[in-house]
Amino acid sequence: MYTRRAFLGTTAATTLATTLTGNNEAAEGRKQKIAVVTTAWHFQSHAQHMVDRFLVGYPHEGEWHHPQCQVVAAYVDQTPDGDLSEQRAAEFGFQIYPTIDQALRQGTDKLAVDGVLLIAEHGEYPRNEKGQILYPRSEFFQQIVNVFEKDGRSVPVFNDKHLSYRFDLAKQMVDNAHQLSFPLMAGSSLPVTWRLPSVEMPANCRVREALMVGCGGSDAMDFHALEAMQCMLERRRGGETGVKSVQVVVGEQVWKTGKQGVWSRDLLEMALSRSNELQGISRTEAKPQDLTRSGQLQELVNDPVAYFIEYIDGTRATLLMLNGAVADYTFAANAVDENQRSHKLSTLFYLPPTPNVTYSAELMNRVEHMLITGKSQYPVERTLLVSGMLESCLESKHLNGVTVSTPHLAVRYEPTAESQFARS
Amino acid sequence: MNDDDSCHAPDESCYNSAMTRALNIAAVVTEYRKYSHAQHIVDRFLYGYGWNGKHHRPAMQIVSMYTDQCPESDLSRDREREFDQLKIYPTVAEALTRGGDSLAVDGVLLIGEHGDYPTNEKGQRLYPRYELFQQITSVFRDSGRSVPVFNDKHLSWNWRWAEEMVATARELNFPLLAGSSLPLARRLPELEIPRDAKVKEVMSVALGSPDSYDFHALEVIQSMVERRVGGETGVISMHALKGKAVWDAMATESWDAGGWDPQLLEGCLSRSHKLKSARDTYSHRLPTLAELRAQHPNPVAYRFQYADGLKATMLLADGLVSDFTFAAKIESQPKPVSTLMFLPYYDLQNFFSPQVNHIEKLFQSGQPAYPIERTLLTTGLTAAGVDSLFRGQRRIMTPHLRFAYQPADESTYWRT
Repeated sequence: MYTRRAFLGTTAATTLATTLTGNNEAAEGRKQKIAVVTTAWHFQSHAQHMVDRFLVGYPHEGEWHHPQCQVVAAYVDQTPDGDLSEQRAAEFGFQIYPTIDQALRQGTDKLAVDGVLLIAEHGEYPRNEKGQILYPRSEFFQQIVNVFEKDGRSVPVFNDKHLSYRFDLAKQMVDNAHQLSFPLMAGSSLPVTWRLPSVEMPANCRVREALMVGCGGSDAMDFHALEAMQCMLERRRGGETGVKSVQVVVGEQVWKTGKQGVWSRDLLEMALSRSNELQGISRTEAKPQDLTRSGQLQELVNDPVAYFIEYIDGTRATLLMLNGAVADYTFAANAVDENQRSHKLSTLFYLPPTPNVTYSAELMNRVEHMLITGKSQYPVERTLLVSGMLESCLESKHLNGVTVSTPHLAVRYEPTAESQFARS
Repeated sequence: MNDDDSCHAPDESCYNSAMTRALNIAAVVTEYRKYSHAQHIVDRFLYGYGWNGKHHRPAMQIVSMYTDQCPESDLSRDREREFDQLKIYPTVAEALTRGGDSLAVDGVLLIGEHGDYPTNEKGQRLYPRYELFQQITSVFRDSGRSVPVFNDKHLSWNWRWAEEMVATARELNFPLLAGSSLPLARRLPELEIPRDAKVKEVMSVALGSPDSYDFHALEVIQSMVERRVGGETGVISMHALKGKAVWDAMATESWDAGGWDPQLLEGCLSRSHKLKSARDTYSHRLPTLAELRAQHPNPVAYRFQYADGLKATMLLADGLVSDFTFAAKIESQPKPVSTLMFLPYYDLQNFFSPQVNHIEKLFQSGQPAYPIERTLLTTGLTAAGVDSLFRGQRRIMTPHLRFAYQPADESTYWRT
C-alpha cells in the first residue's frame, strides 16, 4: 500500500532477528519456513486468523508488521465446504500435502521447514463422556516428532490451545520436546491479550484469594479462562508448584458455595466491575447494574459452573463460568506483596472483536519471536498444567462434583521475568 | 476540600457541603431514551457503575430534570417513578430552582445530544446546547449564585455562541467542563504525549461522518497535541476534502504535497481493532490505496495547521474503521507513536464511566479536570471543517481559532 511499507516491514523484522539472535541468515533476509498442521481451515477458524498473520502480516506496535517467515507447506485434516486452504495455497504459493510427514519434508525425504504451527481447533471430532472434544493434537504432534526423530533434526513447534485432552498424552508432548530439545510453545491468546486496566500481579506475592469469571462452552472456553487465571497465579511467591486437587460444582451448588465463603463475593464484585459486557438489563436496557447485590445474578445464569483449584502450596482459586450474566473474561485477586502490602487487583482480559480478533496477532507475534530466536516465550508447563487441570475438572464435573485429587499435576515451573501481555 | 482559592464559584459553601450531604444535581437534556447520551450519563448517577473494582455509587443525586423532547421511547418518566428524589419540571428554570424562586441545585448536567432537531444548509444538527445553557445561566444570574456545569460534547454548532458560553462561565465565575468521552477513554496502549515533545504531524482515523464523529476525532487530536512543548497555540487554517480528493491527497504521501505522512495512516490502522477487511475471507488485512479508492468512495479529511507549525489530519474513512485511533510524528523519533482510544461498543457503553467520574469530581471539587479551551477549540475546528466542506473544499483561514492555552498537569484518560 504505502511505498515505504515493504521497506519498513523488512527493516523491522531484520532488526528483530539480528538483535535477538545475531542470526545472520535471518538478517540477510532468508525467511523462516513454516509448515502448518491443522484440523480445519475456514473463515474465522484459528487456522485462518493465525496463519493469515504470516501470509498478510499483522498489526504490531503501531506498524503493519510483515514477519520474516514464509508458509511453505500445510496438512489439513478436514476440508468441508468453506475450506480456505486451497485458496490460500494458490494465492501464496505453498503446497498442501496429504500427510503430516510430507508437509514437514515438503515432499522430500528430510525435514525441510524451520518451524511448525499445530492448530487443531475446529473441525468435526467426537466428544468423550466427560464432554472433551477429542481434537487430535497429541496424535498430530507424535507424527511431527517422528519426523524430527527420523530426520535427526528438530524445529520449534507452536501448539494452539491446550496440549491434549489427556494429561498423560500432554505430558508426553512436553517430554518429547525436552528430549529432542526443541522449543514448544502452546496455549490460548488470553495470557497475551490486552488487560484493562493494564496490570500485573505484584512480584513474589502471596495470593490470599483469586477469582476468574468467564463465559462460553466447555471444553473450549473454560480452557481459555483457566489459562488466563493461571498466567496471573503463576507469578506468586515460590513460582508454580502444581495443583493438589480440583472440584467442579454446577447449578444451585455454585450459589451455595458462594454463601459458604468458598469463593468471595467481594472478588466477584471486583471482577464484574471490570466487565464491559454485563448481560440482562445491561444489554436489554443498556443500564448499569450491581449484579453482586441486586439478586439478578441467579436469575440470569441458568447453568452456573464453579471450578475450584487447590494448589500444592495451599493457594486456592476459583473460576466461575457465568453464561447469561457476562460475555467477557475478568479476574480479581487479593494478594500480599513482599513488603506485606495488600493489593486488591482486578482486570478484564480484553478480547478485541471479530472479525479482526487482534488478540491472535499478539499470540502469533510471540510465536514469530520463538521461530526467530529459537526460544519459547513462556513456559509450556503453564499450558501443560492447565491442560491437566481442565481434564481433572471435567472428570469432577462428570462425577457429580467429587473432589478429584491430582498428584500427577505437581507441575513446577517459573514464570517469565517479563510480563507477556499486550501493552505496547 | 477547598481550603484555598481553587474554588471558582462565588459560593463555596456548595462544595464544602459535599462533606456533609449528598450533592443535588439537575439534568437538562434533549431526550432520555435507550442509548441516548442522557441515558448513559444520568443512569450512571442513578444506578452507579463499575469503577476500580467496585460498583461505585456517586455521592450525589439527580433531583431534577428538564427534557426538551419526550419521544415515545422516553425513559425519563420511568426514572422519575423509580426514584423518589427525582422530579421532572416543564422548564429549565424550574428544574434548576426545583420549583422555588432561586437556584436550588449544586451542579448541572447539560446533555444536548440526540433528539429530533433540524439541520442547517451545512449539514450541522442544530442541538440547542447554547439555548439551554442561556436558560441555565439566566437562573444563575437571577439567583446571584452559580454552580458547576457539565456540557456534553461540543459547546454549540455556532462558533460565536460557543465563545459566548465560555465568556459567560468566566463572567459568572463558575467551572464549566465540556467535551466527549474520547479523551477520557482507555488507550491501547497507554500513550500520552510527553510535555517536552516537539510534535510535527498527527493524524486521527475514525468512524462516522461530519458534524457528529468529526467532533470526536478532532477532540482526540486536540486532547493529545495540547500537551506538546509550549502547550496549545491555536489553529490558523482548515482544509476539508471529500471523496476522490481524499485518496488523491493520500497518494502524494506528504503533508507538503497536499496529503499526509503515510506512516501516520499505517500507525492508525495498525491500532484499530475494527478495520474493515478489503478482501473476502480475510479477517484482517491492511488495504491498498486501490482498495481504499474502490471500497470507500466517500471519505472526508480535515487537514489543519496550528500556529506553531504542527500539522494535523482527521480522516473519516467511510466504513474503513469502526473505532478511533491516533498517531503522531515526534521530532527525532523515526517511528510515529500511536494508540487506540478504546470505546467498548457493547450495550453498556462503559466509555461513559470515566466521563461521569470526571463530572462527579467537577461537582465535588469545583475543578474541571481539563480546560474548557480544549472543547472550545475543538468546537471551532468542527465548525471550520464543516464550513470548508460547504465552501467547496476550500482552505479557509481561522484567525478566531488562534488562541493559546495550557493543558492540565495530570493526564485524564482512564487507566485505573
